[in-house]
Amino acid sequence: MASRFWTQGDSDTEEEESDYDEQEDNVAVETTTATAASRYYSGNASDSDDSDGQKRVVRRVKDKRFDELSATVDQMKNAMKINDWVSLQESFEKINKQLGKVMRVTESDKPPNLYIKALVMLEDFLNQALANKEAKKKMSSSNAKALNSMKQKLKKNNKLYEDMINQCREKPELFEEKVEEQESEDDVESDTSEYPDNLESEESDDEEETGNDAETGSGWEKMLSKKDKMMDKQFKDPSQITWDTVNKKFKEIVAARGKKGTGKMELVEQLTFLTRVAKTPAQKLEILFSVVSAQFDVNPSLSGHMPINVWKQCVQNMLAILDILTQYSNIVVDDMVEPDENETQKGADFSGTIRIWGNLVAFLEKVDVEYFKSLQVIDPHTREYVERLKDEPLFLVLAQNVQEYLEKVGDTKGASKVALKRVELVYYKPQEVYDAMKKLAELDSGDAESGEEKVQEIRGPTAFVATPELVPRKPTFPENSRALIDILVSLIYKYGDERTKARAMLCDIYHHAIFDEFSTSRDLLLMSHLQDNVQHMDISTQILFNRAMSQLGLCAFRAGLVLEAHSCLSELYSAGRVKELLAQGVSQSRYHEKTPEQERLERRRQMPYHMHINLEFLEAVHLACAMLLEVPNMAANVHDAKRKVISKNFRRLLEMSERQTFTGPPENVRDHVMAATRALRHGDFDKAFTVIKSLDVWRLLRNKDSVLEMLKAKIKEEALRTYLFTYSSAYDSLSLDHLSKMFDLSDAETRSIVSKMMINEELHASWDQPTGCIVFHDVEHTRLQALAFHLTEKVTVLAETNERAMEARFGGGGMEGLPLRRKDGQDYAGAAASGGGGGRWQEFSFNQNRQGSSGGRGGYTISGRASAPGLASSGFSRDRQARLGRAYHTGSGARGGQSDGSARMVNLNRGVRT
Amino acid sequence: MASKYDLTPRIAPNLDRHLVFPLLEFLQERGLYPEEDILKAKIELLNHTNMVDYAMDIHKSLYHSDDVPQDMIDRRAEVVGRLKALEDGAAPLIGFLQNPNAVQELRADKQYNLQMLNDRYQIGPEQIDALYDYAKFQFECGNYSGAADYLYQYRALCTNSDKSLSALWGKLAAEVLMQNWDIALEELNRLKEIIDSKNFSSPLNQVQSRIWLMHWSLFIFFNHDNGRTQIIDLFNQDKYLNAIQTNAPHLLRYLATAFIVNKRRRPQFKEFIKVIQQEQYSHEDPITEFLACIYVNYDFDGAQKKMKECEEVILNDPFLGKRIEEGNFTTVPLRDEFLENARLFIFETYCCIHQRIDMGVLADKLNLNYEEAERWIVNLIRTSKLEAKIDSKLGTIIMEPSYTNVYEQLIDHTKALSTRTYKIVHQLLENAPGQTAR
Repeated sequence: MASRFWTQGDSDTEEEESDYDEQEDNVAVETTTATAASRYYSGNASDSDDSDGQKRVVRRVKDKRFDELSATVDQMKNAMKINDWVSLQESFEKINKQLGKVMRVTESDKPPNLYIKALVMLEDFLNQALANKEAKKKMSSSNAKALNSMKQKLKKNNKLYEDMINQCREKPELFEEKVEEQESEDDVESDTSEYPDNLESEESDDEEETGNDAETGSGWEKMLSKKDKMMDKQFKDPSQITWDTVNKKFKEIVAARGKKGTGKMELVEQLTFLTRVAKTPAQKLEILFSVVSAQFDVNPSLSGHMPINVWKQCVQNMLAILDILTQYSNIVVDDMVEPDENETQKGADFSGTIRIWGNLVAFLEKVDVEYFKSLQVIDPHTREYVERLKDEPLFLVLAQNVQEYLEKVGDTKGASKVALKRVELVYYKPQEVYDAMKKLAELDSGDAESGEEKVQEIRGPTAFVATPELVPRKPTFPENSRALIDILVSLIYKYGDERTKARAMLCDIYHHAIFDEFSTSRDLLLMSHLQDNVQHMDISTQILFNRAMSQLGLCAFRAGLVLEAHSCLSELYSAGRVKELLAQGVSQSRYHEKTPEQERLERRRQMPYHMHINLEFLEAVHLACAMLLEVPNMAANVHDAKRKVISKNFRRLLEMSERQTFTGPPENVRDHVMAATRALRHGDFDKAFTVIKSLDVWRLLRNKDSVLEMLKAKIKEEALRTYLFTYSSAYDSLSLDHLSKMFDLSDAETRSIVSKMMINEELHASWDQPTGCIVFHDVEHTRLQALAFHLTEKVTVLAETNERAMEARFGGGGMEGLPLRRKDGQDYAGAAASGGGGGRWQEFSFNQNRQGSSGGRGGYTISGRASAPGLASSGFSRDRQARLGRAYHTGSGARGGQSDGSARMVNLNRGVRT
Repeated sequence: MASKYDLTPRIAPNLDRHLVFPLLEFLQERGLYPEEDILKAKIELLNHTNMVDYAMDIHKSLYHSDDVPQDMIDRRAEVVGRLKALEDGAAPLIGFLQNPNAVQELRADKQYNLQMLNDRYQIGPEQIDALYDYAKFQFECGNYSGAADYLYQYRALCTNSDKSLSALWGKLAAEVLMQNWDIALEELNRLKEIIDSKNFSSPLNQVQSRIWLMHWSLFIFFNHDNGRTQIIDLFNQDKYLNAIQTNAPHLLRYLATAFIVNKRRRPQFKEFIKVIQQEQYSHEDPITEFLACIYVNYDFDGAQKKMKECEEVILNDPFLGKRIEEGNFTTVPLRDEFLENARLFIFETYCCIHQRIDMGVLADKLNLNYEEAERWIVNLIRTSKLEAKIDSKLGTIIMEPSYTNVYEQLIDHTKALSTRTYKIVHQLLENAPGQTAR
């Protein structure tokens, strides 16, 4: 960005650069560029000052003014990078003053494009800063104050130039070119004046010829050799190399970075060469840092990934950095302060602390991101993918070392971030995969190491500062993955920041769920309150949350907890966008087109293939659970089916399948479950089970047999219930023996199931103990009675509508409890909640205006029906993931609302069925 | 087998050292563990207290010798020395407090008191702190009544809230050990208020304190007359129930017992059953399992089996199995009550879902013989707890189904409507002037 002024503004490169900038923001290593840029800038400033001094006479006044203006713009850019609103404000005032001068000189009534561009940039940055609430909170008070005053000033100011700004936004290239024209004369001058060094200017001329395609064109190979020659020439004689020469060369190379016309690979090569001739460990370290960040630059675009060999080298460099750091414990890596120019001159025997600029955590995260991206991009069905997966131990060892180093240094915050990266690589692995990885790491790293060594030897002269390999090159793994996760996670819980902790918690939950520890996993989820505030987190965390939830659902299913499994999964399926919610493929929506921008963002969030949760399996589990719950439910409420729906999704599918005139043999998961449902509704449990069993996704289960056994038992149970619901009216009495035989259940089981139904008043009957029969009571209402009930219900609805209308008019809260009472009258949880609601109502009716919104919240989530469409229509659809948590809210209302921070909030299995 | 359900190892860590003694005494009496182990545990326990003499006695009886290890003798000397020193430190204040005339000068105003003490008796903060230390030491030595008195005085004078809190804990422990249940209950409530107050340090701390409080309260609740109701009031509060679920699921046993023993059915009971259902995986206890059998699985045979186990558990539990000597008899009142109520529980649920029950089977289920069962049921019918008739010819009980009348239901449904309508109208009128003004 900083170099935009100097670029030969082709819109192509422009876009590339801005893209690149964004990316930098994403991974939070912007500091790298910031310092690089500022260094560049400062050098540049002094240089051009010199040249200005010589050529001042020749310059026109107009140009001078423009120069001042652009210098201010550059200052602003720098201020933006470090988020310094105070100086930004100063610059803004300055630029406004200068604007007046420029206008006077040019005698035009139009402000220069440069100025408009600056305004646009400023506005964007301002919006960005305002949107980022967290960062805003962290700002110092003076900074925050400056930000606020800036907001107002800019608003006022921008009104004047509104149409220009809009124009600029629409067609940035238009402005770009004009700026170019105005600057072009300058450019040539300053270009030459900036590089007194002959070599450099020669190079840049060269570059100009080869044009933009520096990396792809054949030109750069030629140049590389030229440069190498040059390098060799310069450093031919090892004895002549001093710290100064190396430092000078280093500065030179770094200054060239990021400028158009500098081959990125070649930059890396040059720097790598320099590491070998570096005089002091500190210098070597400094150069190594530059090498690593240069390597990150190699990949220009946001969607593509870093070439794999570069990635590997990068990891090796990082390891070398760690080697040096471990060897010389007096060297401190820091990215907060700008180190002294000659800090690196201090030799190996220097005992005081040496400060080197660098940020290990950011680098590591960037390495991780690159690894992740490469897996996203590579086709998972190729050999290449598998090969790439094998690099994982390499990263793990790096992370492990960095973490150990940071812990030693006392940077626990950083260490916890790194620990999270490690957790994120392990959490989704079942024990078998973990073992495989462990074996691979033990086997593989030895070979890779020696290979790497050889390459090192072949290349170039031996380094001046030899660094023995101090940090281990082999990852160490505890016996099972649980142990590893436990260690890492407890570290994170102790030191991590909020986001790190939340993510670690989710990984922990996921991992527990894989290992079939449903209760632990559920407790973690409930105690951490993650479902309450996951809406406010970033999208990738929300995706992780969804993944954890679905894994939890699968775990509950394996444990035979159908209700829990369903409540975990149903939200995921409610909108029919599972793929999107789990980031396992882009789903097409018929109703709204995505912009390319959205699509690109979504693509960037995708999970690599090996981390996927099998969607078919997930769907099978979800539908099976829905079937088990919904079929008896439908049988129980034949007359008013609409009243109590457990799974809307399932109902819809069922309706669709019933509408078909002919039903063929089942093909996909849905068909199977629908076929099973049809059988189950007739009480034919055997057929239902056979159909479900024939799904081949069950082979993915580790303990397939026992799970299927469980499923069979559940199907029998629900078949019995359905049968009783449907046909009880036709019988006066039924014998236990008969029922048990019919559904292939033991007497005790049948008795327990039927007793439960009696207690819950689902079945109006009682046992006749001496004969072992169920005697049904006739509690059918007469037509008149039924109609009377109907009437009362209608009246209640009327009253409710009135209340709601009142509420809408006067903004009272807390009436949500009431509709619930009607909806599931005898439901215990419902009754409890509505009781609470009633109490609240009284309280609120007197001071609704103030407390309405806060009190109503719990209620809204309970009643759900009314609030859901509202949410969807208010532009909320973009990240619908947020709503996942609601399944849990539903239960929480009664107790969760009141309990304090320390304890568990919500019961998973509260309320749906007593 | 019997020791399988012994909770002492889980309870002890949440108690004060001194409070563990009664538990060990009980265990010794029951003979669940080898005597030697218990004695060793006692010595271990005493090592960190100042009750050296007592430790020596135990040591003697454990090894059947009169020799006492040297370090115990040393420790004794050290304790005595320290006691003297502390006594001297606290002497001025104690002297003051023992003078009834002087004490009368104290007023309700703490600031005034401090000022007065400082001015007239030269008793400053150091002396007051010394009183605290002295009280603590007295407690460690086993002189609970002295400690309780001093702590009471200290609390009246102290300004440091942390120390005041620990003084309160100390007072509670002392009262419990002296078996002054009424006073202990007061202290308990005082402590509870402090813990529940908003400005208690960290949530984690708060949970831990609650758990301690609940453990300590067991002593009180199972000895106090009114305790069984109060234990439900305390434990079943959301905050406390949460704490139990998170950190001390074994306490569910006591809550469950209290629920069963309590005569009055409580509305929270259903809620509690859900908690039990949820915590089944984390803690295995016959008493909670008994409830689960009846109310979750409707497995009456299982419940019956559990009932026998429960009896065992109650007898071996230091809190539940309290004995009362009546002449030559020793009875465990709680056991009898528990069994009686448990029977009622089973029967109640059983009746709910049956319309005809064979007396023989029922007697079997209730662990009674036929005659007893009949008498029991007749009693229930007489006191109109049960709407049923006995068919003595067939030997069956016939329930009378009780369904709410349709008309009653209708009335129920519509009853609230008029009040609601009134309320709306009222609200409307109330808001109307404001509307026009706007």
